[in-house]
Amino acid sequence: MSSRLLEVSGLTTRFETRSGALNAVEDVSFSVSEGEIVGLVGESGSGKSVTGFSILGLIDPPGRIVSGSVKLNGRELVGLSHADLRSVRGREIAMVFQDPSATLNPVLTIGTQMRLAIAAHESMSKAAATHRCIDVLTIVGIPDAARRIEAYPHQFSGGMRQRVAIAIALLNRPRLIICDEPTTALDVSIQAQILTEMKSLAARLGTAMIWISHDLATVSSVASRLLVMYAGRLIETGPIAAVLRQPHHPYTRGLLNSLPGFAKPGQDLVQIPGAMPSLVNLPVGCSFRPRCTHAQDDCTLLPAFATDGARAFRCHHPLDLPVPASEARP
Amino acid sequence: MSETRALVEIDSVSKRFTPSVSLGERVAAWLGSPIDTRTVHAVDAVSFDIRNGEVLGLVGESGCGKSTLGRVIAGIHPPSNGSAMIDGLAVMGSGSKPLKTTTRIQMVFQDPFASLDPRVRIGETISEGPLAHHLVSKVDARAYVTRWLLAVGLPAEAADRFPHQFSGGQRQRVAIARALAMQPDVLVCDEPVASLDVSIQAQIINLFLKLRRELGLTMLFISHDLGVVRHISDRVAIMYLGRIVELGPTPAIFANPRHPYTRALLDSVPKLVTGSDELVTFKPIQGELPSPLSPPSGCHFHLRCPFVQARCSTEPPQLDGRHHAVSCHFPLSDGE
Repeated sequence: MSSRLLEVSGLTTRFETRSGALNAVEDVSFSVSEGEIVGLVGESGSGKSVTGFSILGLIDPPGRIVSGSVKLNGRELVGLSHADLRSVRGREIAMVFQDPSATLNPVLTIGTQMRLAIAAHESMSKAAATHRCIDVLTIVGIPDAARRIEAYPHQFSGGMRQRVAIAIALLNRPRLIICDEPTTALDVSIQAQILTEMKSLAARLGTAMIWISHDLATVSSVASRLLVMYAGRLIETGPIAAVLRQPHHPYTRGLLNSLPGFAKPGQDLVQIPGAMPSLVNLPVGCSFRPRCTHAQDDCTLLPAFATDGARAFRCHHPLDLPVPASEARP
Repeated sequence: MSETRALVEIDSVSKRFTPSVSLGERVAAWLGSPIDTRTVHAVDAVSFDIRNGEVLGLVGESGCGKSTLGRVIAGIHPPSNGSAMIDGLAVMGSGSKPLKTTTRIQMVFQDPFASLDPRVRIGETISEGPLAHHLVSKVDARAYVTRWLLAVGLPAEAADRFPHQFSGGQRQRVAIARALAMQPDVLVCDEPVASLDVSIQAQIINLFLKLRRELGLTMLFISHDLGVVRHISDRVAIMYLGRIVELGPTPAIFANPRHPYTRALLDSVPKLVTGSDELVTFKPIQGELPSPLSPPSGCHFHLRCPFVQARCSTEPPQLDGRHHAVSCHFPLSDGE
């Protein structure tokens, strides 16, 4: 195992809303090793994006991180001053967002924006900065980068714009890139290009990634480890192929069964009944209990995060455990 | 053979959008300034049938013209050329005045947040069309709305609520109820599950399957999601830059794609990886979708096609084949 790059423990992010306080992220703990791609999966409102934002300290009032810690190479990020956080953002941890047309400045050329991103962390001559920009644009597969650098975002297609956003994230050689649904807005053929590119980048540059997505199939094709979130809590983690082959948490199983590929064409999909509960008014105990077909009386108590080797889950009645965990690990 | 009768016939439908030129621009043009009057060929001579009781999936990437084609079939846009017929009657002539037959086709849109009027109660939203077309009397409207709400899995009380009181999945149920309340013969669904979460998406797909069984609906199901289309459709049409490149029974299209674009599209879809030592490789399609303002000559796909030959850049291929049709000079052979 390579060394721990990012260590998140007990992270809780709370938002004060008119209808009450809600924990968008509650007691989330995980780690990311150097060069590792971790997939973070959940449905809308599960807290996956807020987890990503919390790592970078991008939580504005009425939200705040109420407890927990985020350590990058042992250095605590929670509670850092704005200035200190700014020196981390972009240089040590970069982020790629879902919609590249919203994250790029429409009135500046790509080159100007990229040079600004370099200037935020390092002083170098314009020529040297431009040189680095062209290098990075070439890495992400933008043809004719030396000329395209003077173009404006609207002159790029959606897929090319996302490549530019990824290039900006790579500019300062960060150790970790948080990718928040980076391919959701793209067509499948362009998505396949970006996925291929990102995987080879991670391998070549040794950059670790947290890949946030709602799409299990996309995540399974890039990540090596999977984190599944439901209603603000992590509910299952483990090596991605093992989790997808044999999920222990009924919600993960339900998500997989919901995919059209899991039923014969034309037959009803196995659906999860109901909808995600409101975070303001979570069910007592396990949040998935009202929708769970395996729920029993003890599910009104919040299950602890149980670990079984490399895998962990938050469930009193996990599915398909090979041997009871207590016997396997005396 | 009533089930093989064509209910919807699309006969070389084209739809072009030409930017309207203002007076100022015309004066500027007269004074010698260049103006942009390029025409977008959104749909280019598309022909196919939808049989009675059939679900036809229409797949393509953004900008390929699939939504425009859906809107032409639903009678929202008049076609520039050709005709869309339902039971032998034109849905809409090439003039702009819609004919009465358009009520026989209803549409469900992608975004249930945008397609429902936020200030109108659900009951009124559902009953407005049927009342206007005398499908139901004012006295019976309430019971009529209840019937359709129950059919899509919503409680009868939903009629008194407003759209904002519902989640995305429930709103899509309302939109489906609104379309069904018109008792259409054909339902055109434009990405009806694209904006929904996976678990909610499964619920809505199951609803479509149930409605289809119970009502014998004929559907055009437009989507970019090949997994969803594969699950719900009897036949699939693949569209690229305004043209149908391949059309055939769903199992044949997925097992033996014959157009290089279909093959590449299928190869681009991420699959769930469950074997730990499986190496995920994509064979991404090279390049990007060309602009529909200036589509490539000949076969529209020839610039990105790995099997391109000289003929492809000059001569547009025709959609050929009865059962499994493909529009390619050099189609891939079965089982290759």
